Amino acid sequence: MGLTIDVHGLKVAYDSVPVLDGTEFSVDRGDLIALLGANGAGKSTLLRCISRILPPTAGRILLDGRELKSFKSREAARLMAVVPQETAADFDFTVEDIVMMGRFPYLTRFKKEDLHDREVVRRAMEMTGVTHLAERSIAQLSGGEKQRVVMARAVAQQPEVLLLDEPTANLDIGYQSMLLELASRLNREEGVTVMAAIHDINLAVHHFNRFILLAGGRVLAAGRAEEVITADNIRKSYGVPATTFRHPLHGVLQVSVVRGDKTRNAGNGGPRVHVIGGGEEAMPALELLYQKGCRLSVGPVSAQDSGCRFAHFNSLPVVIVPPFTTMNREHRGEHLNLLRESEAIVVPPIPFGEGNLPLFEEVEIVLDEGKPLYIIDLAGVPERDYSGGKAVALLRRLLEKGASGVERVEDLAKVIKRGGGEDDD
Amino acid sequence: MAGRLTDKDLQSRGAKLTRPILMAVLVLLLFLVALAAMIWGAVTIGWKNVFAILFDTLPFYQSETAAGIAPVYKDILLQIRVPRVLLAAAVGSSLAVSGAVFQGLFRNPMADPYVIGISSGAALGAVFAMLGGFSLAVGGFGAVPLFAFFGGLATILLVYSMARVGRAVPVMTLLLAGIAVSAFLSALVSLLTYFAGEKLHQVIFWLMGGLSGATWMQVKVMLPYAFIGYLSVSIFSRELNAMLLGEETASHLGVDTEKVKKILLAGASLLVAAAVSTSGIIGFVGLVVPHFVRLVAGPDHRFLIPASALLGGSLLIATDMIARVIIAPTELPVGIITALIGAPMFIYLLKKRRKLRYFGGGG
Repeated sequence: MGLTIDVHGLKVAYDSVPVLDGTEFSVDRGDLIALLGANGAGKSTLLRCISRILPPTAGRILLDGRELKSFKSREAARLMAVVPQETAADFDFTVEDIVMMGRFPYLTRFKKEDLHDREVVRRAMEMTGVTHLAERSIAQLSGGEKQRVVMARAVAQQPEVLLLDEPTANLDIGYQSMLLELASRLNREEGVTVMAAIHDINLAVHHFNRFILLAGGRVLAAGRAEEVITADNIRKSYGVPATTFRHPLHGVLQVSVVRGDKTRNAGNGGPRVHVIGGGEEAMPALELLYQKGCRLSVGPVSAQDSGCRFAHFNSLPVVIVPPFTTMNREHRGEHLNLLRESEAIVVPPIPFGEGNLPLFEEVEIVLDEGKPLYIIDLAGVPERDYSGGKAVALLRRLLEKGASGVERVEDLAKVIKRGGGEDDD
Repeated sequence: MAGRLTDKDLQSRGAKLTRPILMAVLVLLLFLVALAAMIWGAVTIGWKNVFAILFDTLPFYQSETAAGIAPVYKDILLQIRVPRVLLAAAVGSSLAVSGAVFQGLFRNPMADPYVIGISSGAALGAVFAMLGGFSLAVGGFGAVPLFAFFGGLATILLVYSMARVGRAVPVMTLLLAGIAVSAFLSALVSLLTYFAGEKLHQVIFWLMGGLSGATWMQVKVMLPYAFIGYLSVSIFSRELNAMLLGEETASHLGVDTEKVKKILLAGASLLVAAAVSTSGIIGFVGLVVPHFVRLVAGPDHRFLIPASALLGGSLLIATDMIARVIIAPTELPVGIITALIGAPMFIYLLKKRRKLRYFGGGG
């Protein structure tokens, strides 16, 4: 069940420009591998070598320990199926015709498809959910349906190895995960070795358990998600700054990329602003102000908080409170300092409770000292008040002392720019 | 396993039953058209007499009716019409089959048997032979068909070697090289034609194509080529189907694409070269017949190739008969008739079929 693939010192050059430059890795029986890497890193070229479309200039590929070149075409097609990014469907074959073509490597020249072949085709169509399309013309199907038919054809080949070359590139998110789920099901249930070139790392981590990251035609990293998908590796292979984090629901690693042009003057040149609290609710305000060039400080937040990660990633001053503890005197002193150093203070639409109300004592102090204070979404405060009305009363008092309300996060940009500017004068 | 066969399987088999029926219709059509072509001409021979004369040629059988028919009718039928019908069938089916193969191989609906220059090469050879007035004859053949045959094959070899990159022959390059070479050779043909002088009529008539003067000799030579060419392409029908999905997909499915391309090219070229050398450049049959069949029965080459052979044969027999009859005793070049009749029929079918079983699919 499943076959091994060994790649030794593989080299391919297009017009003497090397695309694969000594690529080296091995795939175990029944592996479920995502091949990652930037455009031009050699993912497709590598798959084209393994699928025998492209003869490498140097190096060896072994399928099940045997030189790939020594296989006959049909023999190789009985062991290995390929789902390409796109399949030409200009001709009016029915879906069943197309899936039946998966039986090609099993049929000798004068042998017709028999009951067994029909049964294999029927099951392949069932598994991929295209049975109801059997009599339809392939040319009339949507991209997602077409790709499932191609998948059915690959299943009908009854392969030991399934190669997918960016199979989801033209599909919507629904079909993307459906197709990759099919691939991992084949891996689970039939023990097929699956190797897929995938652009979308965040999609890949949901469906694969081993990863090979290519950069410049070489393997930059290989192994589990934690070993391969690191900020450092992403920067090296894709050339962009990135952060990794755990998916809040599934716990798998995720990558987020910050665009270069957006960050150019982020966190620079603007007024000094302190954003109170963290969590999901504070993120839009943090992101917006940061992009507008505000020099931010954050806190108090707990160490696992997304606000805290944001602060660390951008090297911002932050007050950190250990999880499951309340603020002590030091924290409060630190917080007060940050409040005093800033030119404006923002209260994002965070929930209020007994736990965070005390920190508003310091806020009140600096408000009394004349610091501008902006509270986002006043109207929504009663809903977010878990202190039995105390928060509503507190904020009302702050408003009376000169704090101002901001309806939406987006409006913050205008107010802060003006407010900060006036303070500078 | 048999128990697993569901109603759905039976239904889809029912749908596939239309193919044997269509095939039977095409065989019947070929038979009727051939009979008609033997009946009509400058003189009409009644169908009973046609059968009588034909059966009379069988060994150990003497037809009483045949004994009463004037020998001139026997000669007209057996020495003129029968070889002509057989030649038309062989040429028509060769052109249609090679058209189907080239369209599939190049995945291009515009492709026809002449697309990669065989016809231009053959024409150059033929015109060269006519103007040179060579009296060379091999095995009963004059210089013109010999030069045409080898001119066509030499052209395909030239185009092939131009397009080859190492072991591989990219079909797009082959197509473009073919078009370029074809244009060049056509220019040479035009140049020669310009200086053809008194032989101009002979040249023009050859270029238009026709089956006049068909002999048993031609039939005997043409049939083996048609047969070999047909066999060599038709046994690769399944491969050709896979190659319609693109060469990479085909090789993923286990098709040795380079080998298959070579065999198909060789087989189809043989068909075209043989057809052109015996009957000149007859247009339209090779382009339109495969499309006709696809419109009705889809792109599966396991049906497309035999059906194109039958329909191509019938079409050329029928149009050749019309070319003989319409302004008898003078003949029109058959290429004119094929286009005049074939094109409107094709357009009608194209318009009538809402759902195009055709290139580009969806209707």
